[in-house]
Amino acid sequence: MSPRTLPADLAAVPAIHLAGVVKRYGTHRALAGVDLDVRRGERVVICGPSGSGKSTLIRCINALERHDGGRIVVNGVELTGDEGTVQDIRQEVGMVFQHFNLFPHLTALENCMLAPRLNRGLSKAQAVKLAMAHLERVHLADQARKYPARLSGGQQQRVAIARALCMEPRILLFDEPTSALDPEMVKEVLGVMEELAASGVTMVCVTHEMGFARRVADRCVFMDRGEIVEEGDAARFFEAPESERLRHFLAQILR
Amino acid sequence: MSALPIDVALAWESLPALFAGLRVTVFLTVLPLMIGLMLAFPICFARMSPRRVLSLPAEIFVVFFRGAPLLILLYLVYYGLGQIEALREGPFWVLFGSPFGCAIVALSLNHAAYMVEVLRGSLLAVPHGLVEASEALGITRRNIFLWVRMPLALRYGLKAYQNEVVSFVKGTAIVSVVTITDLMAVANAIFEQTYDPFTPILCAATFYWAFVNVLRIGFQFWGRWLNRHSAEDAVAAPAGRTVTP
Repeated sequence: MSPRTLPADLAAVPAIHLAGVVKRYGTHRALAGVDLDVRRGERVVICGPSGSGKSTLIRCINALERHDGGRIVVNGVELTGDEGTVQDIRQEVGMVFQHFNLFPHLTALENCMLAPRLNRGLSKAQAVKLAMAHLERVHLADQARKYPARLSGGQQQRVAIARALCMEPRILLFDEPTSALDPEMVKEVLGVMEELAASGVTMVCVTHEMGFARRVADRCVFMDRGEIVEEGDAARFFEAPESERLRHFLAQILR
Repeated sequence: MSALPIDVALAWESLPALFAGLRVTVFLTVLPLMIGLMLAFPICFARMSPRRVLSLPAEIFVVFFRGAPLLILLYLVYYGLGQIEALREGPFWVLFGSPFGCAIVALSLNHAAYMVEVLRGSLLAVPHGLVEASEALGITRRNIFLWVRMPLALRYGLKAYQNEVVSFVKGTAIVSVVTITDLMAVANAIFEQTYDPFTPILCAATFYWAFVNVLRIGFQFWGRWLNRHSAEDAVAAPAGRTVTP
């Protein structure tokens, strides 16, 4: 099934348009009016100290968290309380989580097949073909029949990436994809993400991997206390930060 | 009197009657287990609903039928409902007029109340991150339940379910008080005829033991099959959550 509300001329609209997005938890404002536009095919890295709202922001984009104010428009579809638009947006937006969140009772292959079979009604053979193609893409075709408990953290995260790719999303969100990994496994996951970046998919990535940001990001966004403090292309962001808060943050993490 | 407390000849003679009793016990186990489980699902959904109009009646159901002793519940259904004239003359008398009907109703309600809590505990044990991952993939709520939450809840709750089933089997022995000749009633009748307390009761105990162990072995295979994906012999339930209610 193809999303009903998708505008005909996709190239004309930004992939993601955020205007004055507010998210509250009780009295705490996790997002205090965030404006951000992500162009089609753009790769944006979001960084900032913990509690700055960066995870909340990307979780609002696919409605895992519901925003309390402002506008979120994904592929020209405005995110409202309506379940239909939420489903439409989620078909277009893939997400990779810090803790992988693979289904433990399904093999790597079955993890990848589940959503295409349920959402798009693919036959088993079609779903196997699709899933194997994407597992191949993350270099795990040989592990397809294994259950997540038998895979390393890096392999699990790559399966999670393949699982998201199987829905063939136009936009990929990464929520600290390497933060739960042992150092030696970070590289294999970042490698896969860099290959993805080269494929032209729109990426929004919350990460502290500054090397990755330099190599891959078209634009870096720095958030603190629920707002965007500074944004710019990767080179200027790292070499010539304007705000005191970003200088302080970079000094902390780069050392 | 022999050294054995068991009169082998009497045990042998009693076998056909005991088997007939076992058949009744199995019947009064399997049917209420199925009915109770079917009732438990909608009541569990109501119990977990954020809407108080749904969750409150479900909670009252659980508190009442889990709290009421099974024996008293059975008496109430069998003797109590018969006092209501409208019911005696209504169409439901086919059910409530027979001891079997009453036993099945009482046992099913009791089992349902326990199963609501077993189900709820198991569903709550499913890590939220897995539900979020499913949502992010655009899977509908109904499919998330069928393909992610329920399969995992089954794995987390299997041990608690097994406990409930085993204690339920033994609980069925009380149906003898409403004139049903189940395994216990057969043993009792033989005792009253022969004044030998050991032989029939120990034979009945052996039958119960065998029945429960057949179930245990069944659960063991089921559990192994369900957990074939796991490095350990069970899916590790996430820390800080209890599986058993």
